[in-house]
Amino acid sequence: MRGLQRIKFALLGLLAIGLVACDAGVPQPNLAPAKAKAAQCVEPTADIRKNHMAYLNVHRDKTVIEGIRSTKHSLNECINCHVAPTREDGSAVHYTDEKKDHFCASCHTYVGVKMDCFQCHADRPEVTKQVNYQHKLSSNTYHLSAQTGQPSAQDWLLLSTPQGARQ
Amino acid sequence: MSQINAYRRKFLAALGGVAAAGLASGVIVREVKAASPDVPTRPEDQPVSNKVRWGMLIDINRLTDGGASMVEACKREHGWGNDPKASPEQQAQWMRTVKVTDKLTKHSFTLPVMCQHCEEPPCVDVCPTGASMKRADGIVQVNKHICIGCRYCMMACPYKARSFVHENLTDQRVHSPRGIGTVESCNLCVHRVDKGQLPACVEAAPQAVIFGDLNDPTSRISQAMKALGGSQIRADLSLNTGVRYLGL
Ligand code: SF4
Ligand code: SF4
Repeated sequence: MRGLQRIKFALLGLLAIGLVACDAGVPQPNLAPAKAKAAQCVEPTADIRKNHMAYLNVHRDKTVIEGIRSTKHSLNECINCHVAPTREDGSAVHYTDEKKDHFCASCHTYVGVKMDCFQCHADRPEVTKQVNYQHKLSSNTYHLSAQTGQPSAQDWLLLSTPQGARQ
Repeated sequence: MSQINAYRRKFLAALGGVAAAGLASGVIVREVKAASPDVPTRPEDQPVSNKVRWGMLIDINRLTDGGASMVEACKREHGWGNDPKASPEQQAQWMRTVKVTDKLTKHSFTLPVMCQHCEEPPCVDVCPTGASMKRADGIVQVNKHICIGCRYCMMACPYKARSFVHENLTDQRVHSPRGIGTVESCNLCVHRVDKGQLPACVEAAPQAVIFGDLNDPTSRISQAMKALGGSQIRADLSLNTGVRYLGL
């Protein structure tokens, strides 16, 4: 009888240790990058924690179907605020990385959520100077939205032709 | 012919005016990224309306490179054409140049072909999920959120305008999401048009391409089409395409 009691206590003890270990293992999402930019998220914290997916779902349909481009509930803005493009050592941060230190991955992994936003959407902000960020393209010309470089005669045509053709 | 000559004269006159302006100001200011007069801006929280129908008029004779620079601009804007694992046949192709030769006269020319933004799009008719869609303003695109990758639309499109993404991609363009298992095609740079900017390919060939609102009779494109026409590829299909050509 006593033996059984002992085993029970031992088991309980093990369970407790296990629980404590689990608790220590809860990953904390890194809120520092966002906190540096804004004191408050676009919605109250409790609300956005629970309902961010609903906000995103509504906004994605508004954007794709109706062309509404407001930034409040835009996934791009979440990424811009919460995800730093690189780690301190300069390596790229991706949602699928083993380290699971991408802002979104840190929670989703723990709660076992599978979503595929980042199969299509960029999972970190765009950084112009970072060569490994964008797909390399087989071209050496820049289109006119590039901010640098001298405009060609074609730029001037674009600026002028409305009046020219309307006369 | 006289119409064309008139058009050329206006074109040259415009060119002269610009050169003068450039000399007078002395300072070259690059304002092209800002809103274009051809694309009226819409408040960002307002939906698109069917009062507008976007269209494009491409003058093939003015495209000295047959549209190659337009294709490059599209690649750069949307990041397609260099997917790491795709074979050359599998690479996405939102826009391509096509060389046409008349068998009798041997006259040949090259033109850029992309989604023609049909008013009656077969790709929308066949889509089982509603992912292939036409926006109120006439832009045809794939809503990748609900595309199941069945590729019916690729089969239905008479212009071979659509591509399928076969592999996992990362670091896509922020403004142009594209990913495995979905179909994609030219969306008239919808992210730029919504900001009042011209599509990237139009910016790359301003001497040959006019973009604007086909529903507005005073727009530059409507005026040009009224004066010079604007033919459709495969007009026999009666799809009323939004992309029109001069010099076909
Ligand atoms: S050109 Fe093809 S993809 Fe574009 S609207 Fe027409 S059928 Fe659809
Ligand atoms: S591939 Fe996608 S967009 Fe094309 S028909 Fe199928 S579900 Fe629709």
